Amino acid sequence: MSNTYRKAIAFAVVAVCLALPIRASAQELSKEATDKAAAEARAKRNAQTFELNASTIVFYDRTGKRIGGPLGERAMYQGAIISPDGSRVAVVKADLPNESADVFVLDIKSGAITRITTSARTEFVQAPIWSPDGSKVAYVAMRKGQEGIYMRPASGQGAEELVWKNPGAFIFLSDWSTDGKTLSFTFSDMKGGTLYTLPLAGAPDRKATEITKTELQLFGSRFSPDGRFLAYTVVDKTNKGEIFVRPADPAASGGPWQVSDGAIGIPFWRRDGKELYFLARDRSVTVVDVTTAPSFSFTNRRVLFKTQGAVPEIVRAISADGERFLVVPPPRGPQLQQLTIFDRTGSVLQKIGEPGLYSQPSFSPDGTRLLVVKNDIQSAQADYWTIELASGTPTRLTNDTFGKQAALWSPDGKHIYYSSFRNGDFPIYRRLSDGTGGEEFVFQYTPGAFLGPSDISPDGKWLICDAGGYLITVPLAGDAKSRKEVETLRDEFLNTIGRLSPDGTFMAYRSDEAQPERGEIYVRPFKASSAETGDGKWRLSKDGVVAMLHWRADGKEVFWRGLNLESNDLNVISVEVTTSPTFSVGTPKQLFKLPGPIAGNLGNISRDGQRFVFAVNVSAPAPTTAPR
Amino acid sequence: MIRRILIAFAFALVPLAHQVMAHHNMTAIFDFNDRVTVTGTLSKVDWRNPHIYLTVDVKSAGGAMETWQAEGPSPTWFRIRDIGKDDFANSMGKSFEIELSRARDKTPMGLIRTITLPGGRVVSACPQNC
Repeated sequence: MSNTYRKAIAFAVVAVCLALPIRASAQELSKEATDKAAAEARAKRNAQTFELNASTIVFYDRTGKRIGGPLGERAMYQGAIISPDGSRVAVVKADLPNESADVFVLDIKSGAITRITTSARTEFVQAPIWSPDGSKVAYVAMRKGQEGIYMRPASGQGAEELVWKNPGAFIFLSDWSTDGKTLSFTFSDMKGGTLYTLPLAGAPDRKATEITKTELQLFGSRFSPDGRFLAYTVVDKTNKGEIFVRPADPAASGGPWQVSDGAIGIPFWRRDGKELYFLARDRSVTVVDVTTAPSFSFTNRRVLFKTQGAVPEIVRAISADGERFLVVPPPRGPQLQQLTIFDRTGSVLQKIGEPGLYSQPSFSPDGTRLLVVKNDIQSAQADYWTIELASGTPTRLTNDTFGKQAALWSPDGKHIYYSSFRNGDFPIYRRLSDGTGGEEFVFQYTPGAFLGPSDISPDGKWLICDAGGYLITVPLAGDAKSRKEVETLRDEFLNTIGRLSPDGTFMAYRSDEAQPERGEIYVRPFKASSAETGDGKWRLSKDGVVAMLHWRADGKEVFWRGLNLESNDLNVISVEVTTSPTFSVGTPKQLFKLPGPIAGNLGNISRDGQRFVFAVNVSAPAPTTAPR
Repeated sequence: MIRRILIAFAFALVPLAHQVMAHHNMTAIFDFNDRVTVTGTLSKVDWRNPHIYLTVDVKSAGGAMETWQAEGPSPTWFRIRDIGKDDFANSMGKSFEIELSRARDKTPMGLIRTITLPGGRVVSACPQNC
């Protein structure tokens, strides 16, 4: 048999398989082969995650001058904290293959690495702190499903000691008092936050003491060096963080005192108790002069330094002498995004404006405007803007600190719909796309449950939403508060990104039906009268799908971002389909590939399927420093 | 689990990221500090996203029957661990033990921490639900 003939047969088999309303082809493989493929895919995904997130550690001095590093091998670091004598760093490193995380101690001078914990698969450690004499490291660990505070010698020798068994979960261990007698930790969830201290005397039945409880989230409690006060971070219901100080004794009077005017991260005291540091919202390292006797007071809030450039780095820890500031630089250096439009071959058609901190670009239905999320470092906000493609004129749509995602244009282009993260919920709002007027509440689903819009029916009557693994449809007519959702597609599989055909008769969606941890595109009939799916199902993709699901305006082509396990490059796939008289599907083909990493989202593709817009990463100038 | 690690990593950076960790509804509905172990007969399995639900009929100390509803991870979570709907469906009508984080409103409902199937197999939903 000739190669050409073989290819023709293979082509035909693939085409037939793809056209049939089938169950997953992966089910036809042996379990051993399926498991092996899944393990290989997982390993590749882990490698990509590592490549995107791994970095090292560097240090700055009080003037913002880089004085040390890189420290440590490239890794996914979290929770770094400098030892009291400033010679070492305790830090958590993720182990993606083991699905775990462990504490390590890095010697700043020699670079020597000492492993402190060894977690079992799926167990992890977080929030390390140092004992005041630097001989031990305490941390929060999940052990056999039970969270607790543990400690171990910083030499890595000796057994792990359970300090306190947490009856719940998600505590954030923050500090060890200078006299060595007390730990502080916080617990925050949607009900609010609580600050605790834990006396180390009285083992094994140590009892945590509640210091304060609020409706807001709080964390990062740090003892003043004399142990009389605790500084901590509170995040209010509009997502704004502030630093507060209060007595460590719950019976003591006075406070809390707000020492910041907008803050991110946790506070740090200088060891003489005369300075308190935190990161302002614009990432500048800020200091206040403080006294703790006879009571707490503060003056002279000022900026110490901020790394300059378009993307200032984030200081994560500060030494006890206030001289060393720890930073984990972004893995690929500072990055901005250039909004760029490509044609169907991946050639650049247009660059829009200057590079900035952009994400989620989305074409308006008439293709004349873009909707984008623009990050503002100064205000620590991410807001929606539109940009006129012909003139480059930007128009601001939102101006708030709430998280936002999954924005959609209405079919007539007059509104945008988006999910906004507020007080633990994901209500959906809409507002006019010309920037006038306020936002209008659209829908609230189960409290606390994720909800992201994925499409609006062509007649504007239905809003399709991803409810965290299944698809619901919300009627847009009537009073917003009385709207009742329809469960359009809810089964045992992870179904996301519901997208209606331009004639509204079919719904394409992503599902892990064929193989867990891997999505493929399927199409089902959609009943516009009831928002339910009809009989029949067709699989469109064969090699995995990530995002960007889109129908061409004439309903004859469907696009998506293909799964790429070999690199972070973005590959755009399309397939020809017909929706009338019956549904049929051709063979998927790659349109083009772009060097990654590039995020893909709904709205990347113009309605006519001729233009593709992405926020392409470009290197920003490396940080320099600006003294106070 | 990887998602939790990544979220935990983001959590350490800025307070805004902590909101992300707290977005799921589990801590709003269930009290992780209030745990209960119930033993009863499995009477219903709802095997759908985003969470499975098991219904267990439990005889109380006073002899009255009480119906408990237990929320678990997603079917996909079980699929990845080689546990299928049949593992539960085959246990219908049999004795069943579940450790739960109890609902805050004290109704007979909870978030599954561990399940002991009739054959003795223990299925742990930790660290996902712990």
